[in-house]
Amino acid sequence: MELISTARFKRAMDRATAAEAYTRRITALVGHLARSGPEVSHPLLEPREETRRALLLVLTGNRGLCGGYNSGVLRLAHARWYEIDSEAPEARLEVSGKRGISAFRLRGIQPDETFDHFENKPTYEEVELLANRYLGAYEAGTLDRLDVVYTRFESLSRQHATVETLLPLGSLDGFDEEENESAADVQYEFLPSVESILDEVVPASFKVKLFKCFLDAAVSEQIARMMAMKAATENADSMIDRLSMAYNRARQGQITAELLEVISGADALDK
Amino acid sequence: MPILKCIVVTPEATLLDEQVEFVALPLSDGEIGIAPNRGPMIGRLGCGEMRVRRQDGTDRYYIDGGFVEVLGNVVSVLTHRGILAEELDEITAEEQLAAARAQPANTPELMAIRARAVAQARAQLRVARRAE
Repeated sequence: MELISTARFKRAMDRATAAEAYTRRITALVGHLARSGPEVSHPLLEPREETRRALLLVLTGNRGLCGGYNSGVLRLAHARWYEIDSEAPEARLEVSGKRGISAFRLRGIQPDETFDHFENKPTYEEVELLANRYLGAYEAGTLDRLDVVYTRFESLSRQHATVETLLPLGSLDGFDEEENESAADVQYEFLPSVESILDEVVPASFKVKLFKCFLDAAVSEQIARMMAMKAATENADSMIDRLSMAYNRARQGQITAELLEVISGADALDK
Repeated sequence: MPILKCIVVTPEATLLDEQVEFVALPLSDGEIGIAPNRGPMIGRLGCGEMRVRRQDGTDRYYIDGGFVEVLGNVVSVLTHRGILAEELDEITAEEQLAAARAQPANTPELMAIRARAVAQARAQLRVARRAE
């Protein structure tokens, strides 16, 4: 189990690194756009005055045996759900992962939508379908706010459950900017126009953010499982050590007792 | 002669990262050719065929929207989907076109969605046919 989860983790990690390149470039692009273009404004960026229809998306795993991974996300998700449910008149809940679905059912909350097909490697196409639905709903006014609860991957030894508001996007420079200043004075030519590019870049960065949430969740799940399985393997090893020691002692004790019986029997016959 | 560096990334993978001589890309309103020493540019891509010319031949890809950024002989292409033209299947593309045409279009939003799907399928079909 430990070996399997390690292999899975490596695969998930590779995918996350690949997506990282895209995210980095789109961030740089937005940076260039913001510096040379007019004020960045787009309907997706502006918060709504009133949040009537809120949606909470919870990303959990399909399987257990991964330490505190699912419970960490669910603890946060429950708290957030009660908050949203009391604030917004129309709150919807969408849960991905069998663990999350059953945990919410256990509490008597019926999710509006459930997914269990995002296994350990969510594809962009699947996530894009979801993203398009949210974007469509947001534009049509049937959605005012989208929160995602997922486990954020920071490093190999640090992942933690977080709530992130993806719609409205707030600002586009939410990513870390590591732009070198030399790019600042470059005059770009925009084809066909800044507005048209902006129209496309904002939804694209939303999709990428959502995709990154899914990837982070997948990587974190594999790490959590790897750790849990490592601990289980070590535990089993030390238990084997203890048990074989006990077994050998018992065996030796039995042999000694038998020997004593034989010797004392022989002694008794001699007399 | 200066040479271009062409990087093509999708959310799932880096498709291409190598030295090339010339890149032709589908912008949202027509094709653009990028030769070395082009001025800095950011463009919005449409769906269609991307050609990458190297010394030893030309690679053709189908790309589906996204952006291109040209800065100092580096062409970065960010696209949602990139498929090598040889891997495209004409029959699947035709099915996609039929499915796209069958979509309902009774509101302006749905019409826009349908138009986009049809354009994507047509572009795929075009690239697939040229590959043969």
